[in-house]
Amino acid sequence: MKLKKYITLTRAGIIEALQFRLATVVMVIGNLLYLIVVYFLWKSIYASAGTDVVNGMTFSDTLIYLVLATALFNFMEMYTVWEIGRSIQSGKIVLDLLKPIEYRKYLFWSYSGTFVTQFIFTFLPTFIIVAAVTHGGIHMGVNLLFFVASVVMAVSINYSIDFLVGTVCLFTESIWGINIMKQVIVLLLSGATIPLAFFPEKLREVVELLPFAAIYDVPLKFLLWDGVSMEPHEPWCMLLFQLFWSIVMMVLSKLFWKASLRQITVNGG
Amino acid sequence: MAPIIEIQNVTKEFKVLNRREGLKGSIRDLFSRNYKIVRAVDNVSMTIEQGEIVGYLGPNGAGKSTTIKMMTGVLEPTSGQILVGGNVPYKNRTKNAQEIGVVFGQRSQLWWALPLVESFKILRDIYQIPEKNYQEMLDFYQSLVDIQPILHKPVRQMSLGQRTLSDILAAFLHDPKIVFLDEPTIGLDVSMKAKIRTLVQALNQEKKTTVILTTHDMGDVDALCRRIVIIDKGKMLYDNDIDHLKSFFGSYRTLKIRVEGELKAQAQAIQKELPEFPVTADEEWISILVDEDKAKVIDVLGRLQSSCRITDMQLQEISSEDVIKKIYEEGVK
Repeated sequence: MKLKKYITLTRAGIIEALQFRLATVVMVIGNLLYLIVVYFLWKSIYASAGTDVVNGMTFSDTLIYLVLATALFNFMEMYTVWEIGRSIQSGKIVLDLLKPIEYRKYLFWSYSGTFVTQFIFTFLPTFIIVAAVTHGGIHMGVNLLFFVASVVMAVSINYSIDFLVGTVCLFTESIWGINIMKQVIVLLLSGATIPLAFFPEKLREVVELLPFAAIYDVPLKFLLWDGVSMEPHEPWCMLLFQLFWSIVMMVLSKLFWKASLRQITVNGG
Repeated sequence: MAPIIEIQNVTKEFKVLNRREGLKGSIRDLFSRNYKIVRAVDNVSMTIEQGEIVGYLGPNGAGKSTTIKMMTGVLEPTSGQILVGGNVPYKNRTKNAQEIGVVFGQRSQLWWALPLVESFKILRDIYQIPEKNYQEMLDFYQSLVDIQPILHKPVRQMSLGQRTLSDILAAFLHDPKIVFLDEPTIGLDVSMKAKIRTLVQALNQEKKTTVILTTHDMGDVDALCRRIVIIDKGKMLYDNDIDHLKSFFGSYRTLKIRVEGELKAQAQAIQKELPEFPVTADEEWISILVDEDKAKVIDVLGRLQSSCRITDMQLQEISSEDVIKKIYEEGVK
């Protein structure tokens, strides 16, 4: 009964997404165009490097990594910052706050329907194409289970970061700049634009400890993992790393929201 | 029975940055700590019983919305106490949300892209309304207005009137104890206004829902409210029955007559005859504002008939609109 409260929002999200057929088509095409650009960009990088392996990754490794990063991005990007900002500006947030569900949960579940549709319409097709084109570039084994668990936590971390940044909009009342800044930082430091393996050694060591790496780099590593190349404890460590950050970020975003909301209810919005 | 809403000496202050003019001023504002305190609501108290419909009136910027936001728990009062259904709203906002419904005339809580019935189903699940109650409520709605044509229409394709109607139905769906209607009839045509009034009235009667109504349309007030509260510049000006409001300003009625001859000149003659009442004339009528405490309209008419030939007449009660306008402009004396 309690769960129904949330599932109904997921359901609504799916129906809502399906109402806009043309938007779905445009999204799929845009996604394809981006992938073509990525393909040629990295092809020329590898051509100019003169070797088959750059930073321990072959061309097909890099391509799989980036293509799937894009697919993951498409499905995880929640536009939460945008959503919060807009409802603050329009005042709709008042109505959302008056629902008998915590705002943080309400927003997440309202968006969750899009996860489902995006997963089916962009991530799965891309995944299948990549798997087919690279002829076994993606290992089909226990790594996929790790991947699924990893994505669930990645979604949670990503949402917490988004929500944290969105909360800032309560104070600034502007959205655009903050949103862009967040996107650039997250995409760069998470490995979604350039694989973390390409980062300078020192920088990489730092970045790999940050929560951003847990969003794209860790799930993608699981996908590229062939099931044998890691020590047995390594995958578990990576999951623990994600779990750690998802809890920390959840607590942080909750506390910040609570404090900010208090500020707002005291000083008016 | 304990009152459903209790407000005691509530004050709400906002901190607002003092903005300077021009580009230079704007840049200096970036570093300014120069705030001023604006008192939006100033020492307001009232109690509202279960089942009342209260008209909450005041000119634009009077502090109405701020009060409502405090009652719903979105804002916390600077001082004073608010109890809604025994809860402090801002402390138990999520719990309080189960007991209240809100309609802001300018915004919609409905799912824009979805047919109305989907929004209803979502609300049913969010508010955990038992299926039986949900069905009964839909049947009850159907008996009040014909909801079939709009039930399967996406909200974005609705006219403003249909959307507002839907929003009101959505606010009552979980059978809340209190519903806040903030300018529900703004921008609607006459027939839709009438429909919405009937609907609110029926829901109030049947479900004993307390309704707090803010509006600028005195038609809404006359049709729905017995009690009105007027607030201006954050201060409460009036809290009583609507009938009492009229007598409060003296029992004025406007007598309109048509006489033979040139109206302007006749009006001046009548003014001389009735120095105690203001007389005005327009193209069609001569209007005499009669204070019934001084003389009965019928006597005035009698006196006039002896001096001139009246061809037609009309009697106008002073409208709530006139009274409210007078209060906004002059305050309560």
